[in-house]
Amino acid sequence: MTGPAAPDAGGHLGDRLSGLLDGELTHAGAEEARRHLAGCPSCSGELRAVDNARSWLRHLPAVEPPAGFRDRLLAADPSLVAPPGRAAVVPLRGRRAAVATVAALAAAAAAVLGLLPAPDPPAEPRVTRLVEAHATSGQGADPLSRLVPVGVPVSFGQ
Amino acid sequence: MTGSGVPTWEEVARNHGRFLYTVAYRLTGNDDDAQDLVQEVLLRVRRGLGTYQPGNLEGWLSRIATNAFLDEMRRRRRRVVELLPDEPERVIPPEPGADVAAEAEALPDDVHRALQRLTPDYRAAVVLCDVVGLSYEEISATLGIPIGTVRSRIHRGRAQLREALT
Repeated sequence: MTGPAAPDAGGHLGDRLSGLLDGELTHAGAEEARRHLAGCPSCSGELRAVDNARSWLRHLPAVEPPAGFRDRLLAADPSLVAPPGRAAVVPLRGRRAAVATVAALAAAAAAVLGLLPAPDPPAEPRVTRLVEAHATSGQGADPLSRLVPVGVPVSFGQ
Repeated sequence: MTGSGVPTWEEVARNHGRFLYTVAYRLTGNDDDAQDLVQEVLLRVRRGLGTYQPGNLEGWLSRIATNAFLDEMRRRRRRVVELLPDEPERVIPPEPGADVAAEAEALPDDVHRALQRLTPDYRAAVVLCDVVGLSYEEISATLGIPIGTVRSRIHRGRAQLREALT
């Protein structure tokens, strides 16, 4: 949790606005922020602007890799990679990738084909699902009314 | 899974390929660099870098991808004088009442392009928060920066994005 921190010039909320939107302020900090917002058009305007950006980012769709890239990934044998350094022994894009892929696939054809799962289901972008696990966001309505109660942040690795 | 608990590349490629590519694409901005970044993640997964904690594979992959991205950005800065992005003149604050409606729309392509105009540090923080969905604490652990800095970068990144799309 991020604490209240010192108010910035003029006593405005500054980056605590993002903390508020993300449910990352302490209970006391969030209450203080709401009180300030009730009487500050400048911070209210900034809250709307930052909430817009936050919403747009959270609604960005997942991105499919170019055709063939996932197959090249599956075929890329990590043991072919020369450590250390970044020597691209296993090229994953470009014309060389096609040659390397054919050779790798030929060697691993039986095992790979037998184990390949069904294609990813064309469901909603899983990135969106990840984001929905956190503080609510969305277009329209008063940003404050959509804030989730301050809770314990998910610890990394949970 | 291997005996050590670190996932195999096969598992990563099959079940998390789109997630990993999405993160790489949002960080780098284009398909070529995204593919290079995913390949670098492959190298690092193979080396087992970072502390993997079972149950949060995508958070772990985000951490590897983001740090690989930032490492590459630092490497490039050392080699090339980075041209400053074409910044607009300092935006004059809008008149009271002339604010943009809360339901303002922005096309995903425009949002993506605006995201690429952020400096790498701001972009990384914003991607980890709003694309991957990590908490401030997780982002702090991922980037090795204090939580206050996390909040500041996220806020400024979002504000710059909003300005770029005004």
